[in-house]
Amino acid sequence: MLKPKELTKVLEQANTGGFQCTLLLNPEGSLMAFAGKCDKKENITAAVAANIWMSNAKSAKSAFQDEGLQYIVMDCEDGKVAIRRVANLLLCVYTAESVGLGMLRAKVEALARYLEEPLKQIASP
Amino acid sequence: MKKKVLLMGKSGSGKTSMRSIIFANYIARDTRRLGATIDVEHSHVRFLGNLVLNLWDCGGQEIFMENYFTTQRDNVFRNVEVLIYVFDVESREVEKDMHYYQSCLEAILQNSPGAKVFCLIHKMDLIPEDQRKMIFDKREAELMKRSLPLECTCFKTSIWDETLYKASAWSNIVHLLIPNVHQLESSLSNFATILDADEVLLFERATFLVIAHSVKRPHTDIHRFEKISNIVKQFKLSCSKLQAQFQSMEVRNSCFAAFIDFFTPNTYVMVIMSDPTIPSAATLVNIRNARKHFEKIERLESGLPVPTTAPRI
Ligand SMILES: Nc1nc2c(ncn2[C@@H]2O[C@H](COP(=O)(O)OP(=O)(O)O)[C@@H](O)[C@H]2O)c(=O)[nH]1
Ligand SMILES: [Mg+2]
Repeated sequence: MLKPKELTKVLEQANTGGFQCTLLLNPEGSLMAFAGKCDKKENITAAVAANIWMSNAKSAKSAFQDEGLQYIVMDCEDGKVAIRRVANLLLCVYTAESVGLGMLRAKVEALARYLEEPLKQIASP
Repeated sequence: MKKKVLLMGKSGSGKTSMRSIIFANYIARDTRRLGATIDVEHSHVRFLGNLVLNLWDCGGQEIFMENYFTTQRDNVFRNVEVLIYVFDVESREVEKDMHYYQSCLEAILQNSPGAKVFCLIHKMDLIPEDQRKMIFDKREAELMKRSLPLECTCFKTSIWDETLYKASAWSNIVHLLIPNVHQLESSLSNFATILDADEVLLFERATFLVIAHSVKRPHTDIHRFEKISNIVKQFKLSCSKLQAQFQSMEVRNSCFAAFIDFFTPNTYVMVIMSDPTIPSAATLVNIRNARKHFEKIERLESGLPVPTTAPRI
């Protein structure tokens, strides 16, 4: 079972040092949990993130034969975004411009590793 | 094994109307369209998996009565889990009604001694409000005495009183028919805590009566269950007019979200969440994951494999 409040607390811990918002969504783009200042756009962000993931996952499948898509990192005008698969959900993080790509990757990796096992148990279709 | 619920009472006492409202999604004003029951009604309405509701008219048509109590006796009164006997509160033939009731009890005692007995003092809306309690108490005392050695539970009912008597008597009856209801209730309470829900309800699938609930944040409207049952049943009725089956719904505004979803083979679940920051998908995943657990309880309870045919809705 998923304890929504606990999950939010875990996601909240990532939101320091320029990390603005952390979301967990399913591949259909529905939000499962989120933490941070999302300006009430968390649902839209989730839908867009899932869409970007899905379209890239398709091309990744043909490009890297044995491995699926692991990561998407985007360096945008106003900040940076990372999307990563966790269990069969997606973790999406966005940060201020000032955050370095290495830091972004390290944090997302740590969070994903922490969530992987517990989420595997709840999110099987 | 199929078990029977007998719904008996004099013709005109209101059985068909009640059956129609509780099981078949009629609304009260439509019952005036129903024809009088001429033959014995065999409406096989299934609920709670293995219970089948049978309607029998007692009295009025002497030939049928003779039949029940002589040649058909074993057939009618065997394997009875519940007898629900309906009394028209305005009946002018109280002694005769009582006589038929006692004949039924006698047959029950012989053929299904373990059956539970409920008496419904029906059409209470016809009695002025200030006399309802007094009249009901008197009837109840009389019925208890006359039912011995069997025990009976009495309810006042009316199809015209939305909140007071209509669903609550039947909710009580269905509730009493669920073995191990406490395990169900404690599981429901755990479920509500994990979800961080205000309230979680379990509805019986065929009737949409509330069979168990867990309240974490109190609500002021004590009639909300009956109201919700009515709303959902009406909605189901509209669905069936379009040849669609009701599956689930989500209602949300800025203060709360309500989810109603197909749950186990015998139930629907309703979850009320008042924290707007918890996304729907999280609650839906939890409902889906809880299904297996509640299905297991249901199977244990009935001691039966899950029914393969869905109850008629
Ligand atoms: N006032 C009142 N009339 C009722 C109530 N329930 C049923 N009736 C009416 O009683 C009549 C006989 O009902 P019916 O269901 O056919 O009785 P049955 O012969 O026992 O099946 C119908 O006209 C119903 O509308 C009730 O609670 N209050
Ligand atoms: Mg009838």
